[in-house]
Amino acid sequence: MNMAPGVGPVGGAACVRDRIGPVAKDALTYEDLLKIVELVKSTPQFSEFRLKVGEIELHLRRKRESASAAAPESSEVPSAVPAADQGTRPEAHEGEREHAWPEHWSVVRSPMVGTFYRAPAPGERPFVEVGQVVEAETTVCIIEVMKLMNSISAAARGVVREILVADAHAVQYGQPLIVIEPQ
Amino acid sequence: MRTSQVKSPERRFDFIDVTLRDAHQCLWSTRMTTAMMTPILGAIDRVGYTYINILGGAVFDVCVRYLHENPWERVGLLCDRLATPCDGLTRGQSLYTFELFPDDIVALNSEALARRGVAVLTVYDALNDNRNIESSVRSGHAAGMKVNAMMTYTLSPVHTDAYYVARAEELARLGVDFISIKDPTGLLIPERGRTLFPAVVRTAGTIPVQLHSHCQSGLAPEVYSVAMRNGFQAGYTATEPLGNGASLPATEDIVARARRLGLASSLDDGALAEVAGYFSWVCERENKPRGEIAAYDPALYEHQIPGGMISNLRYQLETMGIADRQPEILEEAARVRCDLGYPIVASPFAQYIVTQATLNVVQGERFKTIPDEIRKYACGYYGRLAAQPCAEFLERANIRPDEYVTEAPAAHIEPWIPRLRAELGSAATDEDVLLAAFYDRKLVAALRNPVPGCSFRTTPLHELIGFLGTRSDIEYTHIRFAGTEMTISA
Repeated sequence: MNMAPGVGPVGGAACVRDRIGPVAKDALTYEDLLKIVELVKSTPQFSEFRLKVGEIELHLRRKRESASAAAPESSEVPSAVPAADQGTRPEAHEGEREHAWPEHWSVVRSPMVGTFYRAPAPGERPFVEVGQVVEAETTVCIIEVMKLMNSISAAARGVVREILVADAHAVQYGQPLIVIEPQ
Repeated sequence: MRTSQVKSPERRFDFIDVTLRDAHQCLWSTRMTTAMMTPILGAIDRVGYTYINILGGAVFDVCVRYLHENPWERVGLLCDRLATPCDGLTRGQSLYTFELFPDDIVALNSEALARRGVAVLTVYDALNDNRNIESSVRSGHAAGMKVNAMMTYTLSPVHTDAYYVARAEELARLGVDFISIKDPTGLLIPERGRTLFPAVVRTAGTIPVQLHSHCQSGLAPEVYSVAMRNGFQAGYTATEPLGNGASLPATEDIVARARRLGLASSLDDGALAEVAGYFSWVCERENKPRGEIAAYDPALYEHQIPGGMISNLRYQLETMGIADRQPEILEEAARVRCDLGYPIVASPFAQYIVTQATLNVVQGERFKTIPDEIRKYACGYYGRLAAQPCAEFLERANIRPDEYVTEAPAAHIEPWIPRLRAELGSAATDEDVLLAAFYDRKLVAALRNPVPGCSFRTTPLHELIGFLGTRSDIEYTHIRFAGTEMTISA
């Protein structure tokens, strides 16, 4: 604080009792400080503040326009934006086009709300590409759920026909990810 | 009740301060900056702690990711300013993260800490697999530090007194200087302490035993009394405003207990009060919570999930739109933990358990999807399991015999230092090499040197003036105090 003056701590601890509680006679304590700050904060509607207690005298004047504005900047208002749960509704599924492929094709779906990854690590080659033949146990993507990685397997032998979600995109529970034509 | 032990005049109980580390990790999400610490270091030094814990995995990580402070600078500054020896904690082979690092990185970290002035290296493994702390013990000693090894306490049918005695025997064989019982969720109760503590103290022999227990259940202070009666030599505590709740017991409370038991405590009460006053004020100034004494909650012993983790889970479930299923998920979490062979409900395994439980509940089928990390855990990749996972899980996980890891987890990790040195060039210091091992380059580049905004003394009057100076609604201030007068006006 650039305006802190050259006042130092003063020794001793003799206390005088006052209406607002104990204030040290010759050394302001943290307890006193907390009480004074509480008083300042609880009186925003007044433009004039005078306090004399024990050895300390405090005189404050508030700006006129702010004297009535009862919200001091220190009372942080939590930005309570109730996350308008973007796209948690099932109908919001991106790529939900069940009828766009034949009935007997197999669809890999997301096990949970999470993040879809096509490759084992950033910059590495994707697990699968369209047209590739996969076995039932081939890992086709990763879904990150609550910071843990879930390797998702094809669950059917066949050819990858469609990859419905872009890398690193959020996915919903049950959302179709990859379409496989069984062989 | 047995007759009390022979009291020799030198029987004492020492204190290790966690105000600058675990206290704000538990209560303020680790967000205490170096600048909040420095003005009160003089008083902390005068308290008479045997050690001051200044570093842990979360502190290091939050410094880098959120505070953009260079953690090595913080460690150096605190060690320089404090005459009391400083203690730095790591997660063994994982150091400050949850990955496994090769032995050369672990050793370089020990050297870097010692060079900055850390006197005690505290180390633990989240699975209590002591093979994961061997490299830390060895390199810590080689760097001239004392080594304190922690065993993590949990409740399960396999975590018996005999289990902890076996772990303490391993630690004694490793030649550690202190053994601590670490109870991250506050699960210890006085009754268990009365059997567990004497058994561990007996096993430790001449090695001092210490207690590090959190206060979620409200029982920790009483558990500390049991530890004192059973030959523990020190306990970890925090200044009163940052004690209790999810944090550790208040120093003031435990000192009073030690004195009642006739254990000499040479702590300076005046200095303790000054530290407590300062941090009470910082809570107000920074709009941060104080530690509140927790009411005894039997549910804690069922799911064992720490309070911080539950609030985090609620938030995650809300964003997924399934907050109403939390009670079901917590119940399932207790079953998952049992099925996985009783991993300790602490990072990172707490997250594993909760995520698997969420998957099981949401999918309506147990272990249909198993996260890769949980498979690796079950393979022994992170270390030995306390118990065998259940058949249902193993069948679903479908682990091939060649996937099981039986040697020490770090045994097959190649050294990293040659590669990192080649990438970073010859100008890179050991600390640069370590930061590059833990974090990506962008995060490291954003760190500010030196640590910003530190002053080394303050008084309540300074703080009052500082407070008034930040109020944009005040245009005129006049203060008269002890022969000093000052006026500030717009």
